[in-house]
Amino acid sequence: MQGVPLVAFLALGLFMFTVGVVGVIMRRNPIVIFMCIELMLNAVNLTFLAFARYMPAPVVTNPSIPASVMGGQMMVIFVMAVAAAEVAVGLGIIMAIYRLRDSVDIDEMNLLKG
Amino acid sequence: MDSSAITWVLGLPILGFLIQAFFGKTIVDAMGPAKGKRLLGALAVTPIAAAFAIGLGITQKLYSEGHEGGHGGHVVSLFSWIDLASLKVPFELIVDPLSMTMVLIITGIGALIHLYATGYMAEEKDYPRFFTYLNLFVASMLILVLGNNLALLFIGWEGVGLCSYLLIGFWYKDLANSKAANKAFIVNRIGDWGLTLGMFLIVAFLGANWSRLPIQDGRLLSYDVILPALETLLKENVPMATAIGLLLFVGACGKSAQFPLYLWLPDAMAGPTPVSALIHAATMVTSGVVLLNRMHVVFEISPIASGVVCAVGAFTALFAALVAFGQTDIKKVLAYSTVSQLGFMFVGAGSGAYWTGMFHVTTHAFFKALLFLGSGAVIHAMAHNQDMRNYGGLLKYLPKTGWTMIIGWLAIAGVALPIAVGTAPGLGFAGFYSKEAIIGAALANHHATINGMNLSVISGWTALFVAFLTAMYMTRLTFLTFFGKEERWRSIPAHAEHGHDDHAHQADHAEHGHDDHHHGPDEHGFFFTEEEMAAQPHEHEHHHELDGTHTPHEVPPSMWIPLAALAVLSVAGGFLLYNNHFFEHFLYPNDLPVLGKVEYHPHGLPLDLLWLSIIAAFGGILAGALVYAKGLPKKEGFDESKWNPFRRLAGEQFLYDKSMMGGAVDGGRELGVGIWKGIDSWLIDGTVNGLAKVAGGLGTGFKAIQTGYIRLYALMMLLGGVGLVGWFVYQASQLGGGR
Repeated sequence: MQGVPLVAFLALGLFMFTVGVVGVIMRRNPIVIFMCIELMLNAVNLTFLAFARYMPAPVVTNPSIPASVMGGQMMVIFVMAVAAAEVAVGLGIIMAIYRLRDSVDIDEMNLLKG
Repeated sequence: MDSSAITWVLGLPILGFLIQAFFGKTIVDAMGPAKGKRLLGALAVTPIAAAFAIGLGITQKLYSEGHEGGHGGHVVSLFSWIDLASLKVPFELIVDPLSMTMVLIITGIGALIHLYATGYMAEEKDYPRFFTYLNLFVASMLILVLGNNLALLFIGWEGVGLCSYLLIGFWYKDLANSKAANKAFIVNRIGDWGLTLGMFLIVAFLGANWSRLPIQDGRLLSYDVILPALETLLKENVPMATAIGLLLFVGACGKSAQFPLYLWLPDAMAGPTPVSALIHAATMVTSGVVLLNRMHVVFEISPIASGVVCAVGAFTALFAALVAFGQTDIKKVLAYSTVSQLGFMFVGAGSGAYWTGMFHVTTHAFFKALLFLGSGAVIHAMAHNQDMRNYGGLLKYLPKTGWTMIIGWLAIAGVALPIAVGTAPGLGFAGFYSKEAIIGAALANHHATINGMNLSVISGWTALFVAFLTAMYMTRLTFLTFFGKEERWRSIPAHAEHGHDDHAHQADHAEHGHDDHHHGPDEHGFFFTEEEMAAQPHEHEHHHELDGTHTPHEVPPSMWIPLAALAVLSVAGGFLLYNNHFFEHFLYPNDLPVLGKVEYHPHGLPLDLLWLSIIAAFGGILAGALVYAKGLPKKEGFDESKWNPFRRLAGEQFLYDKSMMGGAVDGGRELGVGIWKGIDSWLIDGTVNGLAKVAGGLGTGFKAIQTGYIRLYALMMLLGGVGLVGWFVYQASQLGGGR
């Protein structure tokens, strides 16, 4: 791990995030969109962990910022918990829509069209 | 002072009004039209006559007490009405010479006219309604003159205005009558505006000088408080006196039909003739003069207000007298004559001799009520045709009406002989004394002087000339109606229509003409007999038209007895009141508070005033007789295009009415339409609708963005997020870049 520079983590995170964004915008299947959202969340998680790992010592030992020691890792746990909840709810909605309309094409769900 | 007597004077007409209003129809239905109307007529006349009798007793007592006139008098407080911390207006009556003079005129003349109306309106279907209004009028008029404060005067003022409106429009099915009623009511509003402002100004002025009031109990409208206070306070503030005086005079102009606002009175002749006699000649229209007498302190202090009163009065007198020459309707001539005589009263009051105004009110009430009732009898006898061009030689058919009206004519002309009797310089009819007193006071005094111009003298000479004109146009009326050999209605082909009649659906007196069924005056009872009543359908759609076969019949006694009584008053009333300064000392025993002694005998005239008055009267009669002795001149016939230009112009009131109606009514309508289209439709609606359109257009524009595609929303979110982050980064770089 020591050999891998910070920028490599950030580059991977940026790549994963970009893939996620493009996927959310381009794809019509809500399952795939969910997967892309997960991709974006995980890109953010990766970034959090990378910054946490590479946090400079003065910041870590600064008594005025007591919670900063494990801050990044904590945030990742939160994100994973929220993502799990989101998937549970989201998949439930998708199942309901499928039962109602026999289709989950996201472009056909345009009831809010002005 | 026994308060119950004066309460009865006011209460009896109110009682009569309530009986007529609530039981009138029931009585007619229960007893049948003939008996029911007879009872109702008696129930209408009795309260007024009883009030007159009580009033006579009170006046007798007041006179024998030698009571001090002017501000004083007895105040009878009945109950508290408006009770605020700083303003108290109790319901209180004043018993003093001025109010009792008016009470006697109102109830005395009123009772006679009520009696006359029982005959005149005998065939009327709405008999109870008529007497309801008439009794209510008497009650309102009594409140006007008896009230001890300006607020009660105002109640009476509006009450008589309402009754005037109701009675002018009594035959409301005819649109012209309703319009005349509306005109009277609306024009009177202008006067009421002035009167209320004058009242408010008095309250404000006295309230500002609270500490100097003689009685500080908050009765800021009661005469016994305000008149002494105004006398002392206004002397230091003459412009305030002018303002109050002019505002009150605007009110007087409206009610008393003076020049700018006289328009309604000629049209008010659309009402039944007893109404014209009572309301529009004898009582209501004189309330402006009563107001000036009541508030004379204000006018005594302000020469400008007095000058305006004089000038307006004189101009109105002249103007209306000229217009009278162009009228062919007998009631219209009398209406303009009333306007003209009211002008005389204001000349008298304006020149500082207030009692002469009241004197002329009194004598005018005698002879003008007589003339109106006489004209009503003529109209009644002539199948409700009011055009004098259709009359002629009627003295033969209507001797009682004719001779009493001739007395009225001589009285209004001011005929007198130069025989000194008592303190009077001449011996004459009632109108002579009051007119001579007015002209003498106007010529002798210099109170009404504005910028060195003595308006009262100018008004006096004008009034003298108008006296000549009055004699002349009244001669025209009398000669066209009663004298001349030709009976001009004989030349009307059957069922032709000439002129107009004021109440087309009014049942006629009796079956005229076609059969020889004769019923002269002797065959009538006091009222019409039941057979006669039964012979008349209750509502004619088309009554008998005046045509060549018509034979006029004398009126029943219920109608000529009032004529005779008024004729006696017109002969003797003037002398009795004038002799030994009776009326003058009764009204103003101690002279006027500010002006002191008022002069009545002008000096430096080319001739004695007595001779001038006599010349004016006889000259006018002579001039009229020369023109009209032979009957209707060819130049005044039915073909109005042959009239000379002056008479044509006079017939149209010198275009004043037309221009006023054009200016005020049509102008008002134009203004209303302009405001509606310009301000409401364009500006206000435009703003509101424009805002709504802008919002709608924005919505339509932004609707295009809402496609329903989730990915587009996501893209926008992304762009927004990127933009936001970019902005933060940019800001951060600006702040922290140089660390």
